[in-house]
Amino acid sequence: MKLLLLEVKDMHCSNCAMKLQALEDDLPGVDTVDASYRSQKMKVVYDETIVTPAAIMDAVQKLGYTSEMVE
Amino acid sequence: MLSLWVAFITGLTTGGLSCMAVQGGLLASSLASQIEKEVATSGTKTTQKSSPQIALPIVLFLAAKLVAYTLLGALLGALGSVLQMTPTMRAILQFLIAIFMIGNALRMLNVHPIFRYFSFEPPASVTRFIRNKAKNKTSLFTPIFLGALTILIPCGITQSMMAGAIATGKPLLGAALMFAFTLGTTPVFFVLSYFATKLGSLLEKQLVRVVAVVLLVLGLLSIDTGLNLLGSPYSLTKLMQTNTQPQVAEIRQAETQSDNVITLNVVNSGYQPNVLQAPSDTELTLNLITDNTNSCSRAFLIPELNISELLDQTGTKSVQIPAQPAGKKIAFTCSMGMYTGEIVFN
Repeated sequence: MKLLLLEVKDMHCSNCAMKLQALEDDLPGVDTVDASYRSQKMKVVYDETIVTPAAIMDAVQKLGYTSEMVE
Repeated sequence: MLSLWVAFITGLTTGGLSCMAVQGGLLASSLASQIEKEVATSGTKTTQKSSPQIALPIVLFLAAKLVAYTLLGALLGALGSVLQMTPTMRAILQFLIAIFMIGNALRMLNVHPIFRYFSFEPPASVTRFIRNKAKNKTSLFTPIFLGALTILIPCGITQSMMAGAIATGKPLLGAALMFAFTLGTTPVFFVLSYFATKLGSLLEKQLVRVVAVVLLVLGLLSIDTGLNLLGSPYSLTKLMQTNTQPQVAEIRQAETQSDNVITLNVVNSGYQPNVLQAPSDTELTLNLITDNTNSCSRAFLIPELNISELLDQTGTKSVQIPAQPAGKKIAFTCSMGMYTGEIVFN
């Protein structure tokens, strides 16, 4: 399991955070998503043998948001 | 006490819109995305869902809201029989609600990140729980849950109705009042949330701005109501009145000033005249006259003198006003802070 920290600057309500959190169910390999509208960040715990950070960021984009990796 | 018809009509007109501004922004949008998500997760074939299926969650949401508010009305009515909210308590409540509304409006307008704290952010475990419930196709838990949850974020007008429910002092009447009002809000709520679901996120962003502006206005109105309840001479309503209608008072003055008796007509649209001239340094009798008056103007308050009267629909009630120095102005208001006026001593 690995941790990916993303900054999602276009979340405009806590509902957006809920949408992003649903990736835990919808994207195979994603274990947990902790997205916060307040901090505009999301923490993703994922299985690196199944999914890549790029694929996760791609899924975020498909939901209508842009993400940037946080070092 | 507010009549049930007035409650219903209020709901149907202003109540529906302002509820949509508060609850629609926070909850119906989650409901909409919930529907969107259901549509999306059930594959491309079902994107052509027929209208009744999209309408069903909204209907459930509204039904749950109606039940929740009716129960709340009963509870408030019962509470009213043991606790009487003072104007100051109501004013504080109005200010808190104003802060909440304005904070949310500024958040929606993206003024500063700090305003994001006005948004409810349920912990991940809660949203996970809701999501799991929602995934079960037969479970229509989410809209029902969200509908019931709206009692936690009543809009300004709903909150006034809640105050009205407390004022009934009877559980059954409180329940009936909240039922009538919430039922009234239903058509506007249904139509707006139905179309909001269909608008998609592009228009949603514009809608957020509109809602934010409405919230901002309602927040300011709420502050104004709070100021009126405290009897402040600096409320917007008061300042506008003194600039526009001083003549009415002059005419009335002649016929009412004799015998140290002043008369105030309590009508559906407020108080006539809204500026009463009275002699100073002498005790006065204020006659409050109602004639088929149904609005909240019947709940008459003079915050400064601690006078609070619930007037009959039709009749006259006399209130004693202690002697006041010349130049003194005493504000009066209805219990919701909507209708106001003042007595000027000279």
